[in-house]
Amino acid sequence: MNDISEPARDTGQGAARSPEDLEAIIEARTRALTEALEQKTALLHEVDHRVKNNLQLISSLLLLQNRRVTDPALKASLRGMLGRVNAIATVHRRLFQSEDVERFDVSAFIRDMVADLMGSAGRDDIRIELDLERVEIPAAKAAPFALVVNELLTNALRHGFPEGRGGRIFVGVRRQEGEFRIEIADDGVGLDKDTTPSGFGLTIVQLLCQQLKAKSETTDAEPGARIIVSLPVNGAH
Amino acid sequence: MTGRALDVLIVEDEMLLAIELEHLVEEVGCHSLGCAMSSEEAVDLAKKLNPDLALVDVHLSDGPTGVEVARKISSDCGGVALFMTANVKRLPEDYAGACGVIGKPYSEHGVRTALSYLTYCLTEGHAPGPVPVGLTLAPAYAELWGLTDLTPKSA
Repeated sequence: MNDISEPARDTGQGAARSPEDLEAIIEARTRALTEALEQKTALLHEVDHRVKNNLQLISSLLLLQNRRVTDPALKASLRGMLGRVNAIATVHRRLFQSEDVERFDVSAFIRDMVADLMGSAGRDDIRIELDLERVEIPAAKAAPFALVVNELLTNALRHGFPEGRGGRIFVGVRRQEGEFRIEIADDGVGLDKDTTPSGFGLTIVQLLCQQLKAKSETTDAEPGARIIVSLPVNGAH
Repeated sequence: MTGRALDVLIVEDEMLLAIELEHLVEEVGCHSLGCAMSSEEAVDLAKKLNPDLALVDVHLSDGPTGVEVARKISSDCGGVALFMTANVKRLPEDYAGACGVIGKPYSEHGVRTALSYLTYCLTEGHAPGPVPVGLTLAPAYAELWGLTDLTPKSA
């Protein structure tokens, strides 16, 4: 702060202030700014805390109601919604864990999601293979992205491997020609060629891909199914 | 599950979370001693019931008093506390004597796995393997249970 010891050129009153005065002014200003920043940071923590607690509350509500209902179709719907809330919750846990709250680490997220989904599915007969490059997307895109990945993974698990049929699910993330690709492939029962796929999960994927300007492509992996979602890296900003 | 069922006290002021946690605790084979919503209630219950494990939220009905609750449970009641909070970064470095933390928002599976893992640690005196995703152990407990590698699988 010694660099500013020159007399002020224009104080509005014609009188030059002493270096001591100036230093005092700068010190006071710095203190005020530091305090303001601390307040903002505290506020951010408070909001983060509330978001996390509310997400926890939503999932507890779904879990509690799931305990009450007996209808299998209704139970499946509640489970589905719980999975979606969990995907968003995983995003929030990840976002504030990292130092950079504006970027979202896709691969770390996928590792968390896979561990949770596979664990709660309790299917030891399904092997998971991960091949994840480090890719980051803007935090604002994290939740829709997470919902897409959640649908694709649960879909592979549920439709690819009916009870009793084991196998393998591959999840890959890599950068390629200005976009990044998520590949989810399984060697399960594969696509049903006679029916057009439908359902709420698929609608979510379609709508959110549109939102993310992403392309999704499903192909026959023989055996099983492969779906590749490509997101523009630059258009993602 | 190995060994006897742990007695678990839930310290959480959000009733819906507390009740759902109680279900989970029972489902993994532990025994729930009940729920406390304030620090006073928590310490009273802990002194009376001597829980093996207390699941402690930091924000209780009387303010951010969970850290002190955890400290009292581990120093005065002979129990082990585990934090369950959305504010993992704000916990004191020594975890106030608690064995670790589950960050909110947690998943049902995350809590089940963590509880089974801690049951093993508390009854056998050492860890059955690497720390599961969603659970972070306090350095003192990681050492106590023979874990040199603290990084969870998904770090």
